[in-house]
Amino acid sequence: MAWVALVVAGLCEMMGVYMISKYNDAKSTKNLVLLIVAFTLSFAGLAYAMETLPMGTAYAIWTGIGAAGGALLGMLFFNESKDWRRIVCIGLVFRAAIFLKLLS
Amino acid sequence: MNKQWLSVVIAAFFEVGWVIGLKHAGSVLEWIGTAIAIFVSFYLLIKAGENLPVGTVYAVFVGLGTAGTVCADSLLFGEPWKLAKILCIFVLLAGVVGLKLVTGESKDQEVNG
Repeated sequence: MAWVALVVAGLCEMMGVYMISKYNDAKSTKNLVLLIVAFTLSFAGLAYAMETLPMGTAYAIWTGIGAAGGALLGMLFFNESKDWRRIVCIGLVFRAAIFLKLLS
Repeated sequence: MNKQWLSVVIAAFFEVGWVIGLKHAGSVLEWIGTAIAIFVSFYLLIKAGENLPVGTVYAVFVGLGTAGTVCADSLLFGEPWKLAKILCIFVLLAGVVGLKLVTGESKDQEVNG
């Protein structure tokens, strides 16, 4: 169950990042509420998963799914740059963040 | 550094604040501070996303927040430093600086370039 919660939390985080773009496109209450709900569910899922899974592992997987997925959605739906240098740099930041959490 | 990038960096500082809060807050006052830090960091994050690609903003936010938390753990709570951690922080900063260099001033430039 913890693993399912963790993956769902990662997907909610992806959704939250997507909603930030959406909200900046159209500042409606609906978009803001969806943004808050997505991040709240995401944190709740992460907290639940961390009760049983090691914190470093849980956080690393959560960040990986959410931030990489969010960047991917931005490229697909919001015309964000697909420049290979940008993809390499985002990859470096994620990998460093994941390793840092696994180390601590 | 322009205003948008500065707000991402400040957002990451507040992120470190609320991560510490979630772990260590005990009193009502500390929980209120944690809630305010969450609000400020996400407010700045959304603001920065107005002019910078959100994928980049979020990556930098998460990355700097993680590096900041690791530093805070060592400086404030006595976690030992490890060489591997320091190396990771350098790689992370290299990625952030790289992103800053390849990202245009506004979204329009991004799309055209």
